[in-house]
Amino acid sequence: MGKNKTILTIFIFACGLLIILPIFFLVFSSFRTPEDVFKLSLNLSNLTLDNFKAVLETNILRAIWNSLVVSVTVTVVAMLFHAMSGYALARLNFPGKKFVFGWMISTMMVPFTVIMIPLYMVTKNLGLANSYGGLIIPMIFNAYGIFLFRQFYQDFPKELEEAAYVEGLSIAGTFFRLVLPLSKPMIIPLTIGFFTANWNNYLWPLIINQKEELMVVQVALANIVGGGYETAWSIVLAAALLSAIPTFIVFFSMQKYLVDGIKMSGIK
Amino acid sequence: MKRKGMKRKLNETLTAYGFLLPNLLGLTLFVFVPMVYAFYVSLHEWNALSPKVFIGFDNYKEMASDKEWWNSVYRTLIFTVIYVPLLFAGSLFFAVMLNTMRQRFVGVARTMFLLPFAITSVISAVIWMFLYDPRNGFINQFFDLVGLPNQQFLGSTDQALLSIIIVIFWINLGYNMMIFLASIKEIPIDYYEAAKIDGATGWKAFWHITFPLLRPTSIFILVVTTIGSFQVFDQIMVMTKGGPANSTMVSVLYIYKQGFEFLNMGYASALAVVLFLIIFVLSLAQLRLYTKKD
Repeated sequence: MGKNKTILTIFIFACGLLIILPIFFLVFSSFRTPEDVFKLSLNLSNLTLDNFKAVLETNILRAIWNSLVVSVTVTVVAMLFHAMSGYALARLNFPGKKFVFGWMISTMMVPFTVIMIPLYMVTKNLGLANSYGGLIIPMIFNAYGIFLFRQFYQDFPKELEEAAYVEGLSIAGTFFRLVLPLSKPMIIPLTIGFFTANWNNYLWPLIINQKEELMVVQVALANIVGGGYETAWSIVLAAALLSAIPTFIVFFSMQKYLVDGIKMSGIK
Repeated sequence: MKRKGMKRKLNETLTAYGFLLPNLLGLTLFVFVPMVYAFYVSLHEWNALSPKVFIGFDNYKEMASDKEWWNSVYRTLIFTVIYVPLLFAGSLFFAVMLNTMRQRFVGVARTMFLLPFAITSVISAVIWMFLYDPRNGFINQFFDLVGLPNQQFLGSTDQALLSIIIVIFWINLGYNMMIFLASIKEIPIDYYEAAKIDGATGWKAFWHITFPLLRPTSIFILVVTTIGSFQVFDQIMVMTKGGPANSTMVSVLYIYKQGFEFLNMGYASALAVVLFLIIFVLSLAQLRLYTKKD
């Protein structure tokens, strides 16, 4: 039995290595010269930073900045709005509650790709095409976030709020000063989810923005690689590596919470 | 006292709607209105620049004989039929493996499997285009080493769709594995101990305890993965743009091209409405199928 477990563990590690091999090639190849980039060897003597210097001359840094602005804004605003809505639906009593909840959840049934054309028209008619507003605002609203916050607040201990009411705090005051700061176990995994999803968003920015200055990183990267046969791979991979850094940082620093988040989204 | 209660109630209602207001407005404007608008636009001929012309259900009639569209639906179905079972079986398999391996190493294993999930979208497409490169790519060089013939991958009408499936499988394997793993951990250990007494271990224990108890999670993963596979866009747009010879032109990409490249907004909206119906019926059918078995 013990020996079987060892074999199994080795097998899993072999599979795991196979899975991270493409990412290893991404990192390794972006430090290699254009001549070496396709050589299947682990020659470490010719490593160079030239690819990154070349990348800095493209618009990728500007695109990374744009993606940061968009992803961070969407995430922060979404956390606030969804926590507020989730709290109202879980803890407050008001007429029409069931209807509001059902209606919000029903919007989860609508896949983004189905509404992309009318969403483009609506956003354009609001005067938001080719602007940060157009990249950011439509991406904030997501019933999934509301749903998860509602679940979270349903299990939230009641005693705290009751004590706050006795102290004379209003409902809003209780929420913002007491409940929200204690909502980290839900906010952190959702922040990871929203940030990563928006950082990796490609289709919506591709549709809504044609302005070079507002191009986000995924679109910029797709444009670099779109060149066809004569792709300068060492430079493209260096650009891809730079673009991946923010999500890798989030991933490694918050992996524990990511796992918690997965548990929350999967069960139920 | 009663007046105070009333006041409190009013106060609670006002606060609740205040808290809900941003999302009510946002979801109305950016999900609900577009959904209704999609149907409205689908009844018009419209190139986004000149005024809309009402044409009734002509777009839907045109769709009925649009061979390229039905081919794209067929391709999407092929994609789904290969991808969904592959991802389901793969993530369940590795979840069980991670659950039985030496638990000291499970953290590292988890990180390795989850890592691709940090770089969905264009970055992953770029990496794999590099690996798949038909002339110099590492995969073909590896094939040379072990004596296999070189392949065209994304350049071949037979292999392109499968090559893309592998990329998307690679991205999502770890995430779905984690969902299964979390549910496996919820199963009480007593069940396995009781089964052990009856002589059911290993494979038997899996079939009679683990798999049935994972049913809610399995349904969740199947539905989500199926809906997801009808929406795959990023990797295909970057890696093949639907080619070669339309062999990877899936429905969403076809809608995108009709709408934003040929500016047939009305027609593209009609396609989107039909795609929505297909996804809706499929997910309902799946839910029915798996809740019925009780």
